[in-house]
Amino acid sequence: MQIFNSGLFWFVEGVLCCVTLLGLKAWAQDRSIPTPWWKWVVLVLWVSLAGFTIAFVGTSFGEGESTAAIRGGMLFGILAVLSGVGAWRLWMIGAGSSNQVTDAKP
Amino acid sequence: MRSHRRALFAYSLGVIALIIALWYGRTRTAPDLAVPIAEIFPQATAFRFERGVFHVYDDRESLLGWAGSGSESGYGGPMLLVVGIDTLGRVAGSRVVEQRETPIFWRMVKARDFLTSFVGDHFDQINYDYGAVVGLTGATISATAIGASVRSAVADLASEAFDVTVPVPARPFEFGLLEITVLLLFIVGAVTQRARGPVRRRVRWACQITGLLVLGFWRDSPITLAKITALLSGYFPDPRTQVALYLLIAGFVLTSFHCSRNLYCLYACPFGTAQRCVGVIGGKGLKLPIWFVRWMERIRNVAVFAAMFMAFLTLKPVLASYEPFAVLFSLNGTTLQWLLLFIVLVMSLGISTPWCNLFCPMRTIELLFQNLRRTLRGPRTASANE
Repeated sequence: MQIFNSGLFWFVEGVLCCVTLLGLKAWAQDRSIPTPWWKWVVLVLWVSLAGFTIAFVGTSFGEGESTAAIRGGMLFGILAVLSGVGAWRLWMIGAGSSNQVTDAKP
Repeated sequence: MRSHRRALFAYSLGVIALIIALWYGRTRTAPDLAVPIAEIFPQATAFRFERGVFHVYDDRESLLGWAGSGSESGYGGPMLLVVGIDTLGRVAGSRVVEQRETPIFWRMVKARDFLTSFVGDHFDQINYDYGAVVGLTGATISATAIGASVRSAVADLASEAFDVTVPVPARPFEFGLLEITVLLLFIVGAVTQRARGPVRRRVRWACQITGLLVLGFWRDSPITLAKITALLSGYFPDPRTQVALYLLIAGFVLTSFHCSRNLYCLYACPFGTAQRCVGVIGGKGLKLPIWFVRWMERIRNVAVFAAMFMAFLTLKPVLASYEPFAVLFSLNGTTLQWLLLFIVLVMSLGISTPWCNLFCPMRTIELLFQNLRRTLRGPRTASANE
């Protein structure tokens, strides 16, 4: 795939990454969700795992190793989904209490 | 009451059909040993069977060697191996004639080259390295059975052909950490099952986590439908080496009869605990509609019946194994089992123990015992106990 080797692809990818992170920060602020440093660490770790899963499946299929792609995809997919739900619950810590305080204001 | 009778009738019909399938499976003819012997000795043209050993001859009627069979119970039932030794006492080859193990296990055995590793060795110098296979696959029962089958065949051949006694080591009675853990889980479960409040919950969690670590990730030995089917088929693993299996099954059966829920599922089942742990991550706030659970129960019962029917008919208990336990605990399984594990764990995020409630074959067997208990004791006694 020639496009993955082009500078334009990685430039667009970088722009999208920045926009997504800024959007996430704005979204969290709108809902008064506190965003301490460790939540960003959890997010980065989870994105790395999800990215690795996609890369593993894609690379394995590309190398003609369909069994490895399916089984690896299942294994890392399970881990990514489970840790994704866990990361989401961690990310939402503090959301409920902040909302209650906001709602209580006249 | 009417639904209880209907269920009992359906269970009775199912059991009768399974008995017929088992009877049919057992009446099939014994395997032909001529083909594997001819493969071990390609120049063979004639065999003579004397005192439990085949004497193998070529076309000039000169003796090529001897061949004999050895059998031992593996995970799915007995396996039969044929071993040939030449006139100098060296192993000429070995073949698996009959086995009931999973294709994944045999793929790993072939990859390890265990069956050909001792070809050319003198019969008193064979290294029955069970550990080499055991270490690779984690399938202790089956891997040990291969080595023991070969040893048994070689012992017969050496005794008959060379009048030499090959020592067969006595198997020690294995009662270690696994067996103690199983016993303790059932004892603690029996003691605390009638308790209430946070103490019971904490004790139950402690037992479940112990079961997950010991019965799951350490020894990968939960009760499976294949193990139950193997026992019902008459394939009893060596009780000296499989104490934990017998303890687990005895605990499951006894508490299924005696308690409203069996203690294995509540306190020991490693897969149930894995789902509960995933449920803690996900929050498991969803409830399945009753009609869906009822339909899934019927589908599960039919699936369990079909799996056991096929296993009895072919006398291959591993055919009944559709659980994804081995995938989670030792990363061994078919692609379908991987998919099933994925679905079950993702469902566990939102629903409480979906495998136990919707798919687990042990639940069907437990319900069978409970129906039987209700019939034997009468509905009033059974409901009073519950």
